[in-house]
Amino acid sequence: MSKSTDHAIEIHEFTKTYGGIRGKHRGVNQISLTVKRGDIFGFLGPNGAGKSTTIRSMLGLLRFQEGEIRLLGMDAVKEQREILRKVGYMPSEAMFYPSMKVKDVIAFAAKARKMDCTREAERICSLLEVDREKRIEQLSLGNRKKVSIVCAMQHKPELLILDEPTSGLDPLMQEAFFQLILEYNRQGTTCFLSSHVLSEVKTYCRNAAMIKEGVIIKRDSVENLTRSNARRVRLVEDGEKKEFVYTGSMQELIRKLDQRKVEDLLIEEPSLEELFMHYYEQEKGEGREEQ
Amino acid sequence: MTLLIHEWKLNIKSLLIWSICVGFSCFGCLCLFEGMEDTMEQMADAYAQMGAFSTALGLDRINVSTMDGFFAAEVGLLYAIGGAMFAAMTGACMVSKEEEGHTSEFLNTLPLGRGHIIGGKYAAMLLLILMYNVICILWEVAGFLVAGALFPIEDFFLENLLLFHGAQLLMQVEIGSVCFLISAICKRKQTGAALGLAVLLYAADLMCRVVPDLEGMKYVTPYYFSNATEIFVSGKVDMGMAGIGAAAAVLAAGGAVWIYRRRDLAA
Repeated sequence: MSKSTDHAIEIHEFTKTYGGIRGKHRGVNQISLTVKRGDIFGFLGPNGAGKSTTIRSMLGLLRFQEGEIRLLGMDAVKEQREILRKVGYMPSEAMFYPSMKVKDVIAFAAKARKMDCTREAERICSLLEVDREKRIEQLSLGNRKKVSIVCAMQHKPELLILDEPTSGLDPLMQEAFFQLILEYNRQGTTCFLSSHVLSEVKTYCRNAAMIKEGVIIKRDSVENLTRSNARRVRLVEDGEKKEFVYTGSMQELIRKLDQRKVEDLLIEEPSLEELFMHYYEQEKGEGREEQ
Repeated sequence: MTLLIHEWKLNIKSLLIWSICVGFSCFGCLCLFEGMEDTMEQMADAYAQMGAFSTALGLDRINVSTMDGFFAAEVGLLYAIGGAMFAAMTGACMVSKEEEGHTSEFLNTLPLGRGHIIGGKYAAMLLLILMYNVICILWEVAGFLVAGALFPIEDFFLENLLLFHGAQLLMQVEIGSVCFLISAICKRKQTGAALGLAVLLYAADLMCRVVPDLEGMKYVTPYYFSNATEIFVSGKVDMGMAGIGAAAAVLAAGGAVWIYRRRDLAA
């Protein structure tokens, strides 16, 4: 794989297999993916699709058997410490040491980076209304998420990796969080956002990849993904409501509909969720139409 | 250093609880000596005539009516089991608590490196064991002062005390290291298994002293070379056995580093 400096993330034929003597299964199979520097990239997939496996392998938490992962031009296995200095990571489970105070957790994360992040930490804490005097054990999931955001961002990373970041955050905080993401992105930070909430990817990301059962089924700009020729067709036929996603020429659709006793018809752009399922079905080769 | 301070803060409560409990028990035991001085001769005779039990505890070779004999038989035992349990528990929780508490992702995505993390945690365990011993020895000194056995202190008693505490420290490091290795392998804290191991090794020491067929167990249990009565009777530590103990500690620590650097970490 070429060592490109234009890309913040380069994943080449990455495979991660789990298991031991009791049997093996592939968590992720032959994934290849690149994310340009400065991008806000969405990584979409349902639970168990392989999103966290990919992210955890990128960060060196999982050892993988095949392929290569490079972050910010560096090898994810050999240059892990250097990568982690420049990366901010927000895990899906925001867990810290229960007996520690919030301010101590934030200070510990900064000290581990050998950086004085006091000003930025204070700024983010005040934006997200984080109470730094509380102990972790007193915090709700949403408040622990906020601490996680501070720890991931206080050192102004070059690459932000966010694993389902909005779960547990209330809508107001979600908005404040995404404003922070956009602000960092304007300053040059690349964001890799893993999510199964497709609407937030549609709103905030420029490019996205969809993963299902350990395989990437589609990778494109969010604009192109949503502008595909797939259409949600809702119709009433013999008094019965029916709907399906159709991909293909409009003439073909009209010809097919003409053969049916359609009483009412609505053709609209599919949601990203429907697109996701559509691409997945297409990948499996089960036909162009689902009903 | 950051990780060492971090671990120190997380473990200080446990350190204080264990060192105060065991240290105070040792202190109380030493305080009893003065009050029991009159009946000690009869007690020493009774202790020496308990057959296999006397052999196992070495009571047939020491005189519990003297301070060094009393220390070896009573305080030494308490100190050994308490110290081994503390070391076992500290070692067993040190690494696996991260995965059990789901803090492993937070810690391992800081730019520390797995080698630094496991090394820092091992250093923290050694520091905690050392401080545990310092606090317990301070309690002992207080006990000696109350019992009036410190001034003047006889040279051989002081030497034996130093040898005993050196051997105890090595024994605790060995047990702590073995439990640290277990902790590096497991995703959950194995506190029960660790405490069980500490007691089992003590039982192995008792058995290998009584049953000739089980003599080989002396190579396995670190209680053998750190046994108080043995040290106070002979005035030395079996360096061969201590060497085996040190080698086991080094191997366990090395194994922990090797495994932790290579394995998948749970969220």
